[in-house]
Amino acid sequence: MHLDPFELHRPTSVEETVGLARSLAGRFDYLAGGTDLLPNYKMHLNLRPHLVALEAVPELTGHSLERLGAMSRLADLERDPALAAAWPALADALREVATPLVRASGTVGGNLLVETRCFFFNQSYFWRASLGFCLKADGDRCHVVPQKTTCYATFSGDLAPALLVGDAEVEIAGPTGRRRIPLTGLYDAGGDGIRRLTLQPGELLVAVHLPPRARGRRGRYLKLRVRPAYDFPELGVAVAGRWDGDGRVQELRLAVGGAEPHPRTFDDLTAPLEGQRLNDARRAALGEEVARRVRPVHNTFLVPEYRKKMVAVFVRRALAQAEEGRAA
Amino acid sequence: MTASDPVADEPLTLLGGRIPYVEGPLKVTGRAEYTDDIRRPNQLVGRLLRSPWPHARLVSVDLREARALPGVAAVLTGERYPTPFGVLPITHDETAIAVGKARYQGDIIAAVAAEDERTAELALEKIRFEVAPLPEYADPEAGTRTVAEPIHARGLAGTNIQKEVVQHFGDVDAAFAKAAHQVRVRGSFAGVTHAFTEPLVTIAEATPDGRLTVWSATQVPHYLHRALSEVLGLPMHRIRVVKPEVGGGFGGKSDPLPHEIACAALSLETGRPVKMLLDREDVFYTNHGRHPTRNDVRIAVDGDGRILAYDVEALIDGGAWSSFGTVTTYYNGVLAMGPYRVPNFRYRGRRVYTTKPPSGAMRAHGGTNIRYSIEVALDQLAERLGLDPFELRARNALPPNSTTVNEFRITSTSFLKCLEAAKRASGWSEKFRKLPFGRGVGLGCGFYISGSNSPIHFTPKMPQSTVHLKVDMDGGIAVHSMQADIGQGSNTLLAAIVAEVLHVDLARVHVQRVDSDVSPIDLGSYSSRVTFMMGNAARSAALQLRAALVAGAATLLGIPPSEVEVGHERFTPRGRAEPAVTFEQALHQAMEKVGALTATGAYQTRPAGGSFKGARAGTAPAYSFSAYVAEVDVDVETGDYRVPKVWAAFDCGRVLNRLAVEGQIEGSVHMGLGQVMGESMNYRASRMLNPSLLEYKIPAPQQMPEVEILLVGDADPEGPFGAKEAGEGPLIATLPAVANALYDAIGCRFTELPITPDRVVRALEERRKEGRPWKGA
Repeated sequence: MHLDPFELHRPTSVEETVGLARSLAGRFDYLAGGTDLLPNYKMHLNLRPHLVALEAVPELTGHSLERLGAMSRLADLERDPALAAAWPALADALREVATPLVRASGTVGGNLLVETRCFFFNQSYFWRASLGFCLKADGDRCHVVPQKTTCYATFSGDLAPALLVGDAEVEIAGPTGRRRIPLTGLYDAGGDGIRRLTLQPGELLVAVHLPPRARGRRGRYLKLRVRPAYDFPELGVAVAGRWDGDGRVQELRLAVGGAEPHPRTFDDLTAPLEGQRLNDARRAALGEEVARRVRPVHNTFLVPEYRKKMVAVFVRRALAQAEEGRAA
Repeated sequence: MTASDPVADEPLTLLGGRIPYVEGPLKVTGRAEYTDDIRRPNQLVGRLLRSPWPHARLVSVDLREARALPGVAAVLTGERYPTPFGVLPITHDETAIAVGKARYQGDIIAAVAAEDERTAELALEKIRFEVAPLPEYADPEAGTRTVAEPIHARGLAGTNIQKEVVQHFGDVDAAFAKAAHQVRVRGSFAGVTHAFTEPLVTIAEATPDGRLTVWSATQVPHYLHRALSEVLGLPMHRIRVVKPEVGGGFGGKSDPLPHEIACAALSLETGRPVKMLLDREDVFYTNHGRHPTRNDVRIAVDGDGRILAYDVEALIDGGAWSSFGTVTTYYNGVLAMGPYRVPNFRYRGRRVYTTKPPSGAMRAHGGTNIRYSIEVALDQLAERLGLDPFELRARNALPPNSTTVNEFRITSTSFLKCLEAAKRASGWSEKFRKLPFGRGVGLGCGFYISGSNSPIHFTPKMPQSTVHLKVDMDGGIAVHSMQADIGQGSNTLLAAIVAEVLHVDLARVHVQRVDSDVSPIDLGSYSSRVTFMMGNAARSAALQLRAALVAGAATLLGIPPSEVEVGHERFTPRGRAEPAVTFEQALHQAMEKVGALTATGAYQTRPAGGSFKGARAGTAPAYSFSAYVAEVDVDVETGDYRVPKVWAAFDCGRVLNRLAVEGQIEGSVHMGLGQVMGESMNYRASRMLNPSLLEYKIPAPQQMPEVEILLVGDADPEGPFGAKEAGEGPLIATLPAVANALYDAIGCRFTELPITPDRVVRALEERRKEGRPWKGA
C-alpha cells in the first residue's frame, strides 16, 4: 500500500493555522500524531491533498493540571504523577490507549477527534472496492445496518469518556475567533458515524480545560477489548465522583464510549443519586439502565449483544472502584 | 550405534547446553540479510492485482491502459504461464496468476512490474477485467453435495470435495457395542494463520547468460526450485534459488507460492530484477494457514478407562486450492493415533474447496484440531469414570517399541515421564477440582511426527537430507545444506553437531547461505524434520571428516588411528596428555596430496507404514510426546480469562540446544494460546473481515503465561545424538489444556475455538439455565 502524495504545511501559530484552514477549505486534514490518520490514508480513506501539521504550533503543546494542549503527547501525560493524582479516570484512560509506541506519538486532540471505526470502513481500498464501498467513504450504503442514510461507525477514543466525567471543556479557534464549550458539545448527539462533531469548517481544537471544581474526584475508566494492548475500545466506561464521610454521593458523573458513534454522558441517571449511598443494588440498577440505552451494532470484533451486556457490568464495577478510591 | 561411530559413547561437550544462535549477533544488530534487504541494480517493483470477486469467470481483459502508463515495464495475466503447480505432485491446482477464473477474493489475476511502487499500483487500477460472476461457496458442508459450478474441475464427482479419506482398522462398531462408556465431542475450529513477522518477499533476476536467480523468504527452497522449473519451463539447472535469513514461517512459507513464480515471470518478461514485497493484507490472502475444521469424535472405553475405539469424522475447509490438503485430510485422522493405544479406529475425512483464501500447513499441521477434540473428550471420560485425568492417560499410554493399529512404528516414548513431571510440577493434586470457582487447572497431551517419513517428491533412491563439509588450510569448516533456517535455529544446530563430532570451537564452523548452485538438497523446514534428518546427515559427514583428521594426527604421532584420542582442538595418544597435535597440524597432514578435505553426509528414512492406501501418511522415524497443564483464572462476569501458568512437559528425545528448544516451546504456547483465546480469520460469506494484525487477535505480551518447561525425554535410538523434534509438537497440548482448565474453573465445555469472552459468558449463562451448579456457583 502506498501513501499518495500530499502537500504538507507546518504553521507556527494558531492564527496561521486557522488562516491556512480557511484557504484550504475542504481540501485538508489536520495532522497531529498521525497514528490513525496515516494508516487511514494508506487505505485511501477520504484522502485530502493537503495536510496541516500541528506540531510546530507552540500554543497547542504543553500541559498543566488545568489545561491540556491539544498536541500534548499521551505518553507525556501518562508520565505526570500530579496529573494522575488529580484526574484518576484520565490516568486510567491514558494507560489504556493502544501501545506505548502509539502513545509516544498520539495526542490529546487526536484521541478526542479520532475517526470513528467500523469493520467495513477500516479496510484497504481493494477490500472496500470489492464490497462496493460504504456510506462513510466512496459509497452510498451501510453494510452493518443495510440502509442508505445513517452511518453506525463507532467512536473509539479512550480519553473522551474520562474527560467527560471531569466536566472538561474544549477551546476551539476558528475563522470567527475563539470559543469554549463543554466537551459534551464537541460531539454531535444528533449526528452519526460521519457527521459526528460540531466543529465548523476550518475550526481547530486548541486545548482541553480541566475545571478546578472537578479536580480530585475519585474516578475510574474501564475498557473492554479482546487484548490488554493494541486494541481500540469495544466499550469504555468512565466514572468520577465525590463521596462524603458517610459514603453519600456528593456529585457523580458517568460516560460511555466505544459503543456508539459518539461518547455519551448520563447526567439524568447520575444526578438523582446525589445524596444517596450507593450499594450493590443501586449500582446494578444504574448499570442495567445505562446498558438499556446503549446500542452497539456489529461492526467491531466482539458481538454487540455481549458489548451491551458488559455495559452493565462495567458501569457497576467502575462505580464501586471509583468509590473505593482505588488507585488508578 | 555401530563400532564405526566413535562419538556414540563420548560425553557431549557442546550439545545439550544452551547454544546461542550463530547468526544471533547479526540479527540483533540489524546486520543479518533478509530478502527485502537485498537490492539488485536496476530493480523493478512487482505488484499483484487480486480478485475482488469471490468466484468469477474471467471473460476478457484489457491491459492497454496499464501497459501504456509511463514507468510500467510489464503487465502479465495467467495465460502467459498457465502450468498449474502445487507443493504435492498429485494435486497441482494452483496457478501463479489465475487462468480462466478467479477462485476467491484475493486470488491473483494479474501482475505488474514498474519503476516504482506507486506506478505499479496505479497500473493495477488501470487493468480492466470483464467477468461473469459465479456462485460463491463459503460453506464446506454445502460443497460436499453437487454444486452448480465446482471451484475446480478435479472436485469429486461434481462436488467441491478435494479429498476424501476413509479408513477402518479393527472393528469399531463391535468395540462401541461392548463399551462401558462413550463420549462424543463435536469440535468447531476457526481458521488461523501463521502471522510470521517477515512478510512474504521475493526477488527474481533473469540474467543475459540465460539464468534466473530467485531470492525468497521460503521454508522449502527445493520445492520452490521445482515449481519454478515446472511453471516457467526452464530446466532446474538454469534456475538458482537463494534463501536469505527468514523471519519466521510456521508453515506459511512451506509451499511454493504464486507470488514467487509471478515475480520470476515478471523478471523473465522484462530482463530486469523484480522485487515483490507483499503487504500484510496480501499475506492474509495468501494464507495457507490452519484449516477451518469441524470434527466429530467418539471414544469408547471399558470400565477401567481403557480405550476401545475411536470413531472420527472431519470436515475440512480447504479454501480455493489443494496445497498440502491431501496430507491434511489424512492427518486429521491418523494424528489421533497417539499418544495412546487405540485398538480400533475408523475415520472419514473430507477436505472441501471453498471460495476462501487457501488453507495449508501450519505448525502442528493436521494434529492440532483433532487432538483438541480427543483431549476434551478424554477429560469428560475421566470425569464420568471418576478417574484423575492423569490416571486415565497413563492407563492408555502407547508403550515404547510398539506398533499402532494403523502400523505406525513407535520407538522411543517418554510420555509417562511427561505425565509424571507435569503432574508433580503443577501441584495438580492440590489444585484439580479444589481451586475456587473461576480458577482451574487442565491437562492436555500430544504427540507429533518427527519428520515425515516420506519425502513429498518420492524419489526413493535419494536421501531426504544431505550435508557437505569442506575444510581447507585455513582451518575453517564450511557447511553446505539446503536445510532452511527460518529462525528456529537449524543453522546453529548444524554447526554445533559438526563442532561436537570434531571437538572443535563452534567459531570454526561456518554454515553457508542456502544456494541451490552449491547447497546439496535437504527438503526444507516442514513436518518437524530438520533436527532429525539434517542432524543425522551432518553427524555422518562430520564423522568422515573426523576420520580423516584422526588419520593425519596418527601419522604425525606415529601411532595407529585407533590409538588417537580426540581432544578439544587437539589429538593425543589415548590416555596421555603429550605429545599433542593441534587441529591445524592434523588437518595439514591430512591434506597432503589431496588438498581441501570434503565430506558428504546423507540421511534417508527407512521404509515405514502398512500396505493399505494412505498408509504412509503420518509415518515418521520418531515421534515427540507431550503433557501440559494449564492454569486459568476466569472473570466470571466478563468472561475474560488469564492463563497465569503453563507447565510444559515435553519429550523431544535428548535435548541438543536447550535454548532453542525452550524458545520453541514458549513460542508454541503463545501460538496455541492464540488459537484458543482469540485468533480467527473471520468471514462474511467468503469475504475475510479482518486481514490485518489489528483485528486478527494475536495474544498480547501481557497475556503470555509463565511457562515452566520440563524436558524429560530419553534419547531416541535413531535421532542424531538421540534427539527428536521440538518445533511443532509443543503447540498441540496447549489448546486442550486451557479448555480443560476452563472446565475445571467454571464447569463449561468449549468445543468451538476461539474461546472469546463473549462465548465464555454465554456458556456460563447456559450452564445456569441447565441448573447445573459448579463448585457451589
